[in-house]
Amino acid sequence: MTKAHGKRPWTFYVLATLFTLFVIFLYGPMISIFILSFQGPTGGLVFPLRGVSLTWFGALFGQARTGDIGGAFSRSLPLALIVLVLTVLISVTAGFAFRRRFRGSTAIFYAAIISLIVPGLVLSIGILVTFRFLDLRANWYGSALGAHLSWTLPFGLLIMFAILGRLNPAYEEAAYDLGASRWQAVSHVVIPIVFPGMIAVALFGFTLSYDEFPRSWLTVGSKNTLPIEIWTMTTNVTSPALYALGTVTTAISLTAIALAIGSIAYIQRKRAMRL
Amino acid sequence: MLRAAPAPKNAAAQRGSGEIRLVNLTKTFGDLQAVKAINLTVPHGSYCCMIGPSGCGKTTILRMIAGHETPTSGEVFIGDQMVVGLPPVQRGTALMFQSYALFPHLSVRDNVAFNLKMRGDAKAARYARVDEMLALVHMTQFADRMPAQLSGGQQQRVALARALITNPRVLLLDEPLSALDEFLRLRMRGELKRLQNKLGITFVHVTHTQPEAIALADTVVVMNQGSIEQAASPHDVYAYPRSSYVARFMGGQNVLTGKVRGVAGDSVLVDGPGGALFRAPASGQKPSAGSQANLAVRRDMIELRRGKASGDTGENSIQANVETVEYQGIYHKVTLSRISGEEFIVMEPEATFFAHPVAPGDAVVASWDIKGLRLLEPDRAAGDATQPYADDRAS
Amino acid sequence: MKKNALLITYLQVAPLVLVLLLFVIVPLALVLAVSFFRYQVLVGLVPDFTFKNYIDILSNPTTWWLYFSTLKFTVIVLAITFVLGFWISYFLVFHVRNLLTAIALFLVCTVPFWTSNIIRMISWRPVLGKEGLINSALLKLGFVNQPVEWLLFSDFSVIVAYVHLFTLFMIVPIFNSMARIDPALLEAAYDGGASRWGVVWNVVLPLSKTGIALGAVFVVTLVMGDFFVVSVMSGGLSGSATSGIFNDLQFLNYPRAAASAVILVIIVLMIAAAIFRLVDVRKELAQ
Repeated sequence: MTKAHGKRPWTFYVLATLFTLFVIFLYGPMISIFILSFQGPTGGLVFPLRGVSLTWFGALFGQARTGDIGGAFSRSLPLALIVLVLTVLISVTAGFAFRRRFRGSTAIFYAAIISLIVPGLVLSIGILVTFRFLDLRANWYGSALGAHLSWTLPFGLLIMFAILGRLNPAYEEAAYDLGASRWQAVSHVVIPIVFPGMIAVALFGFTLSYDEFPRSWLTVGSKNTLPIEIWTMTTNVTSPALYALGTVTTAISLTAIALAIGSIAYIQRKRAMRL
Repeated sequence: MLRAAPAPKNAAAQRGSGEIRLVNLTKTFGDLQAVKAINLTVPHGSYCCMIGPSGCGKTTILRMIAGHETPTSGEVFIGDQMVVGLPPVQRGTALMFQSYALFPHLSVRDNVAFNLKMRGDAKAARYARVDEMLALVHMTQFADRMPAQLSGGQQQRVALARALITNPRVLLLDEPLSALDEFLRLRMRGELKRLQNKLGITFVHVTHTQPEAIALADTVVVMNQGSIEQAASPHDVYAYPRSSYVARFMGGQNVLTGKVRGVAGDSVLVDGPGGALFRAPASGQKPSAGSQANLAVRRDMIELRRGKASGDTGENSIQANVETVEYQGIYHKVTLSRISGEEFIVMEPEATFFAHPVAPGDAVVASWDIKGLRLLEPDRAAGDATQPYADDRAS
Repeated sequence: MKKNALLITYLQVAPLVLVLLLFVIVPLALVLAVSFFRYQVLVGLVPDFTFKNYIDILSNPTTWWLYFSTLKFTVIVLAITFVLGFWISYFLVFHVRNLLTAIALFLVCTVPFWTSNIIRMISWRPVLGKEGLINSALLKLGFVNQPVEWLLFSDFSVIVAYVHLFTLFMIVPIFNSMARIDPALLEAAYDGGASRWGVVWNVVLPLSKTGIALGAVFVVTLVMGDFFVVSVMSGGLSGSATSGIFNDLQFLNYPRAAASAVILVIIVLMIAAAIFRLVDVRKELAQ
């Protein structure tokens, strides 16, 4: 039904319109707050723009009125980076383990799925209670880190499944045939080939942690992550500073995405492969 | 860790003997016996082709020689070394994969250099050897390309170079020509033979294409469900098949079945289907009267005459109808109606065909001289085990 | 040699097992345990074994009303995201000719997923609000005399937000399933006399079954487990099954919150299991 060339059926135009509307639906609101973040000093939360200025960006980093934004940034970013590294390491090694069936592999798989499905708030309670039980306080690099990992690891695992599952075993056999040790086959052949997939895992690890909310709710302890900070702001901040914050944090996310997709595209280009 | 690669001139001496001996080699996968106690000797420096339908075990044997599959029991000797348990690189073998398995993230040059890099050679020495190998397979100008940019035939030559750089005493090829189109396949066939002659090492080549096997090999090994049916020169396998399976598989003979009437002097008389009488040379065999006999008649030694025979057709001839006629250039392939379930094909040279042309639907008498008929060995197994092609099996 | 390999496998999977145990399995088990505790005002948690929390929750009509409200949202959102997800995936897989373009457009759809959910939610305010873009446009064009009230802080805005956030979770698995369909199958159906709609109904839909099931499970669990979208977008007017938990937490009544959580998890797992029965998940995900 997909002809390679020639006239397109009328359904194409209908669906193309649907797609375009969907993209507008997706991006429209975000673009409008992007614009509104440049609201003039006298402007309010809605259109029209009364002048263009950077005042609200400036207001972000003053602690008093708008909450502890700078602090939240300084906590969320490093945490996201640590989650990124751990997610890649743990997902990749576990992905390699799952290449052969072993006792307990199904149970572990379903545990990961359950972690995905269970509502974040429930897990948040659970982790808090677990830590109290162990006589520990909820804190950043303990409970919050673990809560974030419980969310990112299933994604990383599924991606590694997809990638390693599609990897042609002949590559590794050829490597052994040509004298590679088991470790050399993995480091010189398997990892370079699946590296783009690992970049995808890293992207998930970073962004899912950076934007994570329900699981962080109770597990962060006394200082907030950025998403929690934004949440509190939605209830008590009534100025476009909120939008400015939205723009800044989205810019960070988009940078991460661009880096990841750009590197994948670069690698594939270098290998002269179509994707 | 600077180690110079050995120069090609001393290579043969340094490799050692490439004779392969398989002793009672068996491989079982769960309930399935893929390879059943194989015994085979492949002489040093010869070209051996293993041929058979899918699932006959030929690829499993190849992988056991290579070291990518461990035998359930039995031994593999390369030279005078028992290699079972040794990793591939220590056996002196190199495997060329059916899918070529070129590393997609490395250039042609780095692909070919892989083995040398694994053992720690310095870059300059590595690349010098690579250039020699690329010249050998005529791929020098593609050294900086990536595998994704190469055609099938080019990828194959790179895979060859990558395997040969390890200086193996045995080169193993897993259906190397299957992925190529017809024209390229015939050309690469010639190149493989030339290469083998030049290098003087043992080649073991797995294929399911009969013309390829008899063109390339010094020894053809015909396999059937894990066992060797016949291992002999191409001429012997084609012209003097030992069993009905080999006769059916190689495509040069028609198989006829019947009951032995008796032995008369140096010939055997067999009663065939539809009242036909066959007389074959005894060649030292003495089958008992009443026993089942298989005969093979060369497809290119059969004469066709239009017409119905009144009464007996005489010795070594049968009555049939022409089903199809296919033009194959040098000869016409005339398929006759099946004789008791067996295909019966006549390959008529051009001159003969045009002298006495036949068309589909014609009633014909096919006859042959006693010299074109052979008594085959009795079948070791029954029924489907003697049928190489799934469509012809009863189930 | 074999024993060695098995040991390495267990070592490789150990970090994952550790994290899952400590941060998923044990927490869930403890939540279950705490749900049987008692809550005493001014004292806090009291270890006990009582069904009181469960009885309280299940006999409270508010609970049922909240679940009904949540299920209502779930069904509506499921329907909308399915229709959108199916047709958008269909467009990308079967109508876009250049593979690179299809992937690029797919990425365009996924990029918002990697930005903050909360930001995406609040970004609807200047659009749907009384002085928002849509109302301004409607007023200017003369379609209405007064701003439309129910665009924001209503069921409508909750559904809009859910669709905005979760359609992607339908698109990705369905896209994945559809991309695996051999295009020759569609041509064969077309050749055999099927109309274009017939091809969709008879070939594409059945073969995308797995992706649809996966997407459905994602959407159901996300909507039922949500509390902040519904509270922000409805302005506190609507609640969800999870908001009950949230309230209990505010009052530090952990046992009751835990009991609500257990009930919620059981219901969600039951729905997921029901959907998973239709497809072999491990085979699909591990391919």
